[in-house]
Amino acid sequence: MAQATALEDARPDSLRRPRRPRRPRRVGRQSSGGGRAGRTPISYLALVVLGALALAMVAPFVLVVMNGVKTSTDYAAHGPLSVPQSLSLANLQTFWQQVDFGQVLVNSVLISACVAVFAVLLSILSAYALGIGRIKGRTTILVLFLLANLLPQEALIYPLYYLANQLGLYDTRLVVIIIFTVIQSAFGTYLLSSVLGAFPRELLEAARIDGAGVWRILWRIVVPISRPTITVMLTFFFIWTWNEFLIPLVLLPSNQNETVPVALGLAQGEHMVDVTMQAASALLGIFPAIVFFLIFQRTLSRGITLGAIK
Amino acid sequence: MRIVGIRRSTSLAAAAVLVAAGLSACSNSASSSPSVLTVWDYEAADSAMGVAWAQAVKDFEKAHPGVTVKVQLKTFDQIQKGGAMLLNSSNAPDVLEYNKGDATAGLLSKEGLLTDLTPEVAKYGWDRKITGNVAVTSRYTNGVMGSGDWYGIPDYAEYAMVYYNKDMFEKYGVAVPTTFDQFVAALQTFASKGITPLASAGNDYPAQQYLYDLALMKADSSWVTAYQTGGKADFTDAAWTWAANTFQQWVDKGYIAKDTVSSTSTDMGTAFEQGKSPMMVSGSWWYGTFESEVKSFSWGSFLWPGAQHVPGSGGNIWVVPAKAHNKDLAYDFINDTLQPDIQNLIANKGAVPVAADPTQVTDPMAKTLISQYQSLAASDSLAFYPDWPVSGFYNDLISQTQNLMNGSSPGQVLSALQTAYQQGLSQ
Repeated sequence: MAQATALEDARPDSLRRPRRPRRPRRVGRQSSGGGRAGRTPISYLALVVLGALALAMVAPFVLVVMNGVKTSTDYAAHGPLSVPQSLSLANLQTFWQQVDFGQVLVNSVLISACVAVFAVLLSILSAYALGIGRIKGRTTILVLFLLANLLPQEALIYPLYYLANQLGLYDTRLVVIIIFTVIQSAFGTYLLSSVLGAFPRELLEAARIDGAGVWRILWRIVVPISRPTITVMLTFFFIWTWNEFLIPLVLLPSNQNETVPVALGLAQGEHMVDVTMQAASALLGIFPAIVFFLIFQRTLSRGITLGAIK
Repeated sequence: MRIVGIRRSTSLAAAAVLVAAGLSACSNSASSSPSVLTVWDYEAADSAMGVAWAQAVKDFEKAHPGVTVKVQLKTFDQIQKGGAMLLNSSNAPDVLEYNKGDATAGLLSKEGLLTDLTPEVAKYGWDRKITGNVAVTSRYTNGVMGSGDWYGIPDYAEYAMVYYNKDMFEKYGVAVPTTFDQFVAALQTFASKGITPLASAGNDYPAQQYLYDLALMKADSSWVTAYQTGGKADFTDAAWTWAANTFQQWVDKGYIAKDTVSSTSTDMGTAFEQGKSPMMVSGSWWYGTFESEVKSFSWGSFLWPGAQHVPGSGGNIWVVPAKAHNKDLAYDFINDTLQPDIQNLIANKGAVPVAADPTQVTDPMAKTLISQYQSLAASDSLAFYPDWPVSGFYNDLISQTQNLMNGSSPGQVLSALQTAYQQGLSQ
């Protein structure tokens, strides 16, 4: 235990206790009057520009909400930009029932969560070997991994289908979980091994001197210290898998296995698009993503600067 | 350290739960039982086919006690992209609504993934209901449509018509045109009042269909055959030359708005629904939508005046996968959807049934639809769509029609189309 404590203290400050100090700092900044007094015309201009940008960002959501709660007659008479004449939840209801959206949500959550967890585990193991173990030919391996990630899915889809069908896994959620675990962990390995490549060597040596084996070093030292990176990976893998379209579309043909983005295609026919229905389905489709964002927004915004911190 | 430990163990436990749930939920869904008929289609539940087929399912279950029909609603995209793979697996349904055409049903018939329905066609007499050009998309020889064995059965057909806003016609004193000259005069009346008479969309199928509508004015059956299946289109002939020149004139005169060059078919529909344009020439697939959505004015439809041929064809088709488990039930189900009561339901909801009984239909809108269709079918006037002859031609047509709208010379546009057509053929 004493060793562990010593190691804990050796962590860089920025990695330890990431949450607590933030809140008071932010409050403090707002309450201090100094900032307001120092505002120049340029900062007002920046405010206006940012406000306009924010509006542009929010506008599509507003459109989706407006059209999602409109009747199709209302849409036909007044077009997409008008405010709904009355609030109608019929489209939302119809869409939910037609696609059995509860089941669809369960599928998406299950697949995305399994992939996120498995891909992170796999990435940790392989990145440990590549980044810290520094095995031979690691650059070649990384390039290969990256290549696998760069291949368009359209090129992969037929071989994947063939394998799945041969193994009797076609139209099972398991096959999609396996495929995305591999795809995401290819990128995860690439990212994490470059992060681990810069891992403080002294820590590893100290642990080794204290008698920790390879396995123990991984779980007791490398993983806890790299936790910020790993949580970012976890959330990103979840979102990326959530948004995947082509592979679930092709490999999960039956309705009981459908995922959210595939179900959203229901409002689009051969010649026709049912705009209000599409808006309603988009509303239901982005709702889980918004909830997810609100829960994990701290991790996500940390992810944006991940490359910078390394 | 302890805190870290607890956090890790909870997240591991959560992972374990997820894994267990994932594995238990991943059992294979393929099951076959003689008492279950699986039907997959992509017609929305409140659409004409959706309503009619729901009734067909009820009729079928009544006639086959002990059999349950399991219907799954798919998306068009799903079947378009994943259909071939689905049909090649043991998860294939017993009956599937599939996309007509050489690249879809044709290809799969060649690969042996679809059941040859020819014996059933004779047995149930489907060829008496599906005749002439409507049957073209049902029959494939070596993957090419037009003749040979039957692989699909359409329940509905499609054809292009002129939708018009009765209120606007009345307001501007325009009568429903019966000749092409009257039609052009009507266009001029609206254009001189500052109204764009025709709703269109350049970045989608509508504009190229206007061009094709015009070409069909000067076309006969042999022209249609040469263009569609003969591989002998001549874009320098009188029909195409006149069509391209007239189309460009119409854009110049404001009959078709120049700024629709980048709009989509949805924009076109909205322009008509909002009363911005009094006319719109497009397929019967709009009929049901307008019936349920247009409340602010009354509307009607007429066939393109003076044309021997109009764009149109049989609709998407029922197929029975080669790997279907209950083929006999599947044939019975397809036959049920062709019965007069189901067919009339399709008409009442605003789509074009292939085998309706017009004496049984009371709704005047549905009556128009059926009588227009039957006159077209009787004279073999359905000329398919301009992009059918070669694969990938759709995008060429879009870009060349857009060029035409933007002022390129008709000669240039037509020769570009000829090149694309020849290239497509040689592939």
